[in-house]
Amino acid sequence: MIGIIGKSLIILAFLSSILAILFYYLDSKKPNQRLSTLGHSFFILKGVFITVASGLLVYLLFTNQFQYYYVYNYTSLDLQAQYLAAAFYSGQEGSFMLWVLMSFLVGLALIKWTSPVYRSPMMFFFSLTQFFLLFMLLGIDVFGNTLGASPFRTLQEQMPNLPVWAVNPDFVPADGSGLNDLLRSPWIVIHPPFIFLGFAMMTIPYAFALAALWRRAYQDWIYPALPWALGANLSLLIAIFLGGYWAYETLSFGGYWAWDPVENASLVPWIVGVAGIHTMLIQRRSASSKKASLIFAILAYILVVYQTFLTRSGVLGEASVHSFVDLGLYNQLLLFVFAMIIMAVVLFALRYKDMPSQEREDPILSKEFMMFAGALVLFMSGLVIILGTSSPIIGHFFVANPTPPEMSFYNNWSIPFAVAISIMTVITQHLWWKKIANVEDLATHLTWPIVITSVVTVATIVLGDIRNPVYMIYILAAYFALFGNGWLMINIYRSKPRMIGGTLTHVGFAVMLLGFMGSAFDRPMLDAETKRYNQAVQRGDVIDSDGFPVVQPMHMIELFKDEPKLIDDRYLVTFLDARITEDNRPGEQEYTLRIEDTKRNNRAFYIKPQVYPMLASSQMGSVSWTVDPEVSMGFFSDIYSYVAGSSLVDREFDNWNQGQFSPVEQSSEIIIYDGSGQETKTVRIRRGGTITVDNFVISFSDFEFLPPEEYPANATIAVKAMLEMQNTVTGDVFSVRPTFAIIREGDSNNTFAPVEEIEGSNMTLQFTNVNPNSEEIELQISGIHSVEEKEWVLLTIEKKPFVSVVWLGTILLMIGFSVSIVRRWNDQKRREVNEKRGVKQDDDNEMYT
Amino acid sequence: MKPRLIVGLVFMIAFTSLVLYNFSGSIGSYIDFEEAQVREGSKAYVIGTWVRDMPHGFNNESRTFNFHMMDEQGNIRRVVYNNAKPQNFEDAIQLVVKGSMSNEVFYSDDMLVKCPSKYNDESPEFTAAEAAI
Repeated sequence: MIGIIGKSLIILAFLSSILAILFYYLDSKKPNQRLSTLGHSFFILKGVFITVASGLLVYLLFTNQFQYYYVYNYTSLDLQAQYLAAAFYSGQEGSFMLWVLMSFLVGLALIKWTSPVYRSPMMFFFSLTQFFLLFMLLGIDVFGNTLGASPFRTLQEQMPNLPVWAVNPDFVPADGSGLNDLLRSPWIVIHPPFIFLGFAMMTIPYAFALAALWRRAYQDWIYPALPWALGANLSLLIAIFLGGYWAYETLSFGGYWAWDPVENASLVPWIVGVAGIHTMLIQRRSASSKKASLIFAILAYILVVYQTFLTRSGVLGEASVHSFVDLGLYNQLLLFVFAMIIMAVVLFALRYKDMPSQEREDPILSKEFMMFAGALVLFMSGLVIILGTSSPIIGHFFVANPTPPEMSFYNNWSIPFAVAISIMTVITQHLWWKKIANVEDLATHLTWPIVITSVVTVATIVLGDIRNPVYMIYILAAYFALFGNGWLMINIYRSKPRMIGGTLTHVGFAVMLLGFMGSAFDRPMLDAETKRYNQAVQRGDVIDSDGFPVVQPMHMIELFKDEPKLIDDRYLVTFLDARITEDNRPGEQEYTLRIEDTKRNNRAFYIKPQVYPMLASSQMGSVSWTVDPEVSMGFFSDIYSYVAGSSLVDREFDNWNQGQFSPVEQSSEIIIYDGSGQETKTVRIRRGGTITVDNFVISFSDFEFLPPEEYPANATIAVKAMLEMQNTVTGDVFSVRPTFAIIREGDSNNTFAPVEEIEGSNMTLQFTNVNPNSEEIELQISGIHSVEEKEWVLLTIEKKPFVSVVWLGTILLMIGFSVSIVRRWNDQKRREVNEKRGVKQDDDNEMYT
Repeated sequence: MKPRLIVGLVFMIAFTSLVLYNFSGSIGSYIDFEEAQVREGSKAYVIGTWVRDMPHGFNNESRTFNFHMMDEQGNIRRVVYNNAKPQNFEDAIQLVVKGSMSNEVFYSDDMLVKCPSKYNDESPEFTAAEAAI
């Protein structure tokens, strides 16, 4: 019932959006108060419908109505309230709903604040984008094709062929399939809303640009559009930051950025949006770059739609960890992309002749030219990323079944872009704020920043032992951006503190670039033995049991309880404890490891990575052991770690699975139990041979024949075995000399083999026989089962320099954006007031300092 | 034509060709195990699924995770992954392994795990007993 209401509400919202588009169109053609009121009414009506529909969906989620596919697929009974709420946008359908909802809220603000000149055409375009989003949510059958995927469809509609329906048509699953444990983190609650708020706000500059083309008013649209463009970029930046941070501390890939198509999907619109903001600023200041502003504003949104198509149509299939599968929306998404492009291209072409062209050519050393060039470089970096992301499509021109590009493709291209942009920010900012007529002026202004940059760069290169010339240039450029912009920021702050937004964002950008450099020095922290092993692998000196060279280096270290190991030639790491805490989840384990910094007076800190059994949703009762990495953050470097395996996991494994599926065995080579279950084991070694028993390597070097005077009483012959025993766990080596003798007692010969204790264990050893011909001795070793298994843990531990510097830069960037938004918003308000009074509009805000 | 425009054009053409050249060099093809064996030792991407009922497990000695994967052509090979078992491995409906083949064993240093939670074609099997409730 609720499902039918929900579906109907979406259809009603869809129809209202059509009417809103119609009335906005008519009003744009021939302005009429009544028409625009009707347009607004339908726009708001649509919003009300979609809000109620969202409310219903949330209600269904909170009341666990698993007969609905969406509820079944994304929730389960054990979910806490915040995750039930987040489940609203966990799936594609819900995230489209959220997008529409955010757009509606933004649209309300637009209706209130947009000047009448642009309002109707802009709302026309804005409503058009909403039309396409609602189209994805329809879920109605037209000529046998389902248009859109409704979040309100039932399980039966989704999977009509399940045999269950024949038995029981009213079947409702007892529980849902739930939310993946990796997604159960507070970040899922706040990350997606920022993405879709950003996407919704990105629509505004697009709609404004098209409205400007329609109205042939190419200048004034940027004033109201600028704060929104800044807002959209701030929102996307926050979303990207949250996403990166979330991935970093939850996933085991060990980084904040992997150039995954879904990550790029929000990065590229952000970059192009930033380019657009810059050209809008030029236009605001000098009434030039008009076409560029229009193009960037349009492109930023088209890229949002294009990347939506990439990630949701299923084309990325293999390329991305978190792309969606095709919901049958492929054609509709493609239509959305083409509609947005065609509309913009046609309108732009129609107005092309009409647009004022640039009469004068700005000199190269002018703020207009430099800023425009900077925007172009940003745009080009965006193009490279789109190219990489589009590899499943564009790659077909080069190879069959194209894979995504290597990460190095993105990383290598980022470096020249970062260098160029860094230098340009400093020059442009100085041209913007200072009176500069020629290169000499510029040089004068930049003297101090250059001096500081040089000193700090040289210091960094020496202290950081940086040998790669490309890195040197990169660091030089980033420091130049930091000190060049920082110097200026301090100047501006003294006279006009509310105008530091621009310089602050550039400082933040520079700090971020410096932080990125750290990722080039990411490395696993290994002990000396593992390092030697890896070097041997590199040389091809390690051979596996089949006789082939081992090609893979080790990325983790093995630790035994209470036995410290020195890693990275500096940190002493000790595995102290492993216990089952069940802090957040059933069966959760926590490991406690101490790390002592030997270069800092053995200052100790503790890391507590966790491991938990995740109930796999694919198979009933199966458990998958999942790591929860631990990041200990430091200003200069983070230490990132997770437990890759342990004796505790091995033991708990059986408890959890109870033989329900074939376990992923954590086979251990070090502990060899006697298969027969005996307490005593008999082994034979030839002279010069070596065998392994439990955690001991026993080598038998030679016999020692005792002189007759040292014979035990009544012995006819006595011999000792010279044994060398190595404890493979502790590395201790010691020798044992067990005796074997033949004793005559009356008529019979008896063997005499005194029991030898083995140091550091409960094992005992007896020399029970000898074969003189083969020179083989027989040893009887007891207490094998009572030998305690050493608690062990395999730890992946990595050093990640300057991650917190990246966060710092991002936060500075956010603050800079916020300061700019406040400033531009106030400017715009003042502008409107002046407009009403009929005061001449001079842009007197950008006074030289 | 203005000189600046010419410089700009030349620059754009050079840039585009360099990017495309670079791009074509950094992408590869998804192939199957047999082809990967033919190109022994060179970088390969193979798509497949985990074969649950064949031996698998972590080898503490070499610190690698070993399992068997069936590629899209139905070839089954052992995969040696030199990291911990990836998150969501048991739940994955598809794996993409990156690495190289040597002696019919695939040595992987990077793996992409496709989690089914976002997938739509997953059809849960409800038992008759469950349905009767």
